[in-house]
Amino acid sequence: MINLTLEVLLFPLLGFIILGLAGRFISRTAILTIACGACGLAFLCAAISFFSVLGTPASTFVSNPAAGDQIFYTWVVSGDFQVSFGLLLDPLSAVMLMVVTGVGFIIHVYSGGYMEDDPGFWRYFSFLNFFIFAMVLLVGADNFLFLLVGWALVGLASYLLIGFWYQRRAAVAAAQKALVINIIGDFGLMIAIFMIFTFTAQKDGTGTLNYFMNPGAGGPLTGVFTSLSTVPHNYWRVVVICLLLFVACTAKSAQLPLYMWLPDAMEGPTPVSALIHAATMVTAGVYLVARANPIFEVAPLALMVVGIIGGVTALFAASIALFQLDVKRVLAYSTISQLGYMFMAEGVHNYSTGIFHLITHAYFKALLFLAVGAVIHALGGEQDIRKMGGLRARMPITFWTFVIAALAISGIPPFAGFWSKDEILGSLFASGGRLGYALWVIGIVTAGLTGFYIFRLVFGIFMGSYRGTGPVRHAHGDEEEEEPVEAELASARQPVRSRGSGNPARGAGNGSIFEAPTIMTIPLIILAFLSVVGGFVGSFSLFGDPGWHPLATFLAPVFNTVHTFVEPSFTRQWISTAVSVVVSSLGIGGAWLLYGKGFEYKENKNPFYQLVFHKYYVDEFFGLVLIRPLLWLGRAASHWLEGDALDGGSRAVAWVLRGTSAGLSRLQTGYMRNYALAILFGVVVIILYYAVRR
Amino acid sequence: MLPLSWYLIVSAILFTIGVSGVLIRRNPLVIFMSIELMLNAVNLSFIAFSRYLDSVDGQMFVFLVLTVAAAEVVVGLALIVFIFRTRRDIDVDDMNVLRG
Repeated sequence: MINLTLEVLLFPLLGFIILGLAGRFISRTAILTIACGACGLAFLCAAISFFSVLGTPASTFVSNPAAGDQIFYTWVVSGDFQVSFGLLLDPLSAVMLMVVTGVGFIIHVYSGGYMEDDPGFWRYFSFLNFFIFAMVLLVGADNFLFLLVGWALVGLASYLLIGFWYQRRAAVAAAQKALVINIIGDFGLMIAIFMIFTFTAQKDGTGTLNYFMNPGAGGPLTGVFTSLSTVPHNYWRVVVICLLLFVACTAKSAQLPLYMWLPDAMEGPTPVSALIHAATMVTAGVYLVARANPIFEVAPLALMVVGIIGGVTALFAASIALFQLDVKRVLAYSTISQLGYMFMAEGVHNYSTGIFHLITHAYFKALLFLAVGAVIHALGGEQDIRKMGGLRARMPITFWTFVIAALAISGIPPFAGFWSKDEILGSLFASGGRLGYALWVIGIVTAGLTGFYIFRLVFGIFMGSYRGTGPVRHAHGDEEEEEPVEAELASARQPVRSRGSGNPARGAGNGSIFEAPTIMTIPLIILAFLSVVGGFVGSFSLFGDPGWHPLATFLAPVFNTVHTFVEPSFTRQWISTAVSVVVSSLGIGGAWLLYGKGFEYKENKNPFYQLVFHKYYVDEFFGLVLIRPLLWLGRAASHWLEGDALDGGSRAVAWVLRGTSAGLSRLQTGYMRNYALAILFGVVVIILYYAVRR
Repeated sequence: MLPLSWYLIVSAILFTIGVSGVLIRRNPLVIFMSIELMLNAVNLSFIAFSRYLDSVDGQMFVFLVLTVAAAEVVVGLALIVFIFRTRRDIDVDDMNVLRG
């Protein structure tokens, strides 16, 4: 087995270091070459590793899950306990590495066009490379400690890129929000790791954090997963560990109740939204649940929670997405909703389908974001659907790729989303029980909502007539004055070109809107191709071919402890598929009825509409019960505690000292006779003392 | 022969005059003289005790005190002369730069 995981990790790190140190001084072409080159080489190494895993017989990974484990360095040694820096290559991480570096590479290339005019070009690409590094560390780590490191570093990359346009208050606020909410998740993961350590330490005396320890020839398999999942285990402790892991997942993957940061994260540049907040980072939670499947399998209660949270989130987020006016926010809620699907699949033990949906979702959601990014780019930063429309003729490539992605996400055959979504719905339907059926109904309803909101975007952006007033100024162009150093550098390097024809005259109608440059359309086309064919790695059992399910077979060794998964029967599969396709078609039809002739925004006084339009007032609610009191507490503390109590205390000490010394210094008159008198007085006192004592 | 107490009374009077001089006078030369007066008051009592106790220890102390007083006068007068050269004035009440 050729294992190039370390190279996958190192190339983006190298790119990040070079760009971070020297990016300021080198040309844009060089920056782009280094960034894309680093990511491309990482993708190449990931592909080589992937194919070598593909060529390794599955039995290797079944008998020894740590067969592809490489240990490079011992990080922590404490008595017998040690944590080493190692990277694990197995089917699951191979697939994840392919998705991360592949989609990452495509988006790197796209960013070259999208960020062309931005003064922070080098900063952007160094952050982007840093993100790829962190994400590879997350999915490649072979123990929980380095998982945590990667987990926190992707959060940092996300923070940096959301707040990339740091002159905007909204972007900075969104970045802070994302960081704070993610820290809650990181905290959950940390506690879970502590508990895992105490658990394994009790079991074998030394403790370990490795997923699997390489047993050597014929030795027994050890590691976290084996020691937590083999009897005797303490059921409730495992449940608590799983729930804490899932807290981390809800924060990172934006599930209820910690989803609030993702819609705000749309303040970042659109390719970032595509890469981090749609395709890769937010799926880390799905990855973690799949990775920790041996633990979750022995804690069915926790898995049930995963499924329920996923289902509720899917429906909740899809309903918010229905009437949002900011196109990127629609996609953000859509991402949350699709992540809910993945958790639903994992909730009924169908991990490989969760990962399958993760992959197809990476394709079509990245495509949706990139296409919307092309539109936003062409319109000079306009994100309001009310000021779009009629762009079909002006931007044909963007239009057609967007339609493909929209069909894929709605689950229309034969696009990628159809296969993965229907596998999820099929297994929900098959798992039965009240929970299974309830989740299935939720999934079906969500599918209808998905069809509606995504085609609302299609019609709103591309159909009807243009409602805007021509491209506004470039989104980040008007901030350049506030960034003197970088703006100066940028203009020294090359004059800041204006978009399109070089004459972004206002009020010119859609005449000044142009299709994105080739560097941006090629990634769209690649992703559109993947959105069409990406689903064929799933199962064809729908068409009576039980032998064709390459992805599930490939991933099977990772999930070989899963016995509780119910394979849907042929009939049930057809029922589920038929219902879901019909419902999503209904959703699309509904969107066509309402918006087919062009989007028109109407004020709607219906309380339900208002509730959904204002995102169920969640932000307002938390602002009232959490943020306002906390801000009040902070201000009160800084005023009363810090200002009056602490500062006042030190002021009092200073005042007392100053008063005392002022009094004492008055004794130093400088007149010799005073001193002489004092001496005399002292002598008299001493003599009197001895005289009287006698 | 006069009793010891007479010598001691004279010595105490001399010492008191010396102390008063140090405290009251402003001219450093006079202050110096007052200090000498105090020293000599002590010397007088030493001598008186030496005679009274029939011991030479007191007289040895007197020689020591005289030597030290001579050395002190040398240093003190040098200082006073130098202060006078720099300030053209030796009033001790004007030398209060160390006032707190």
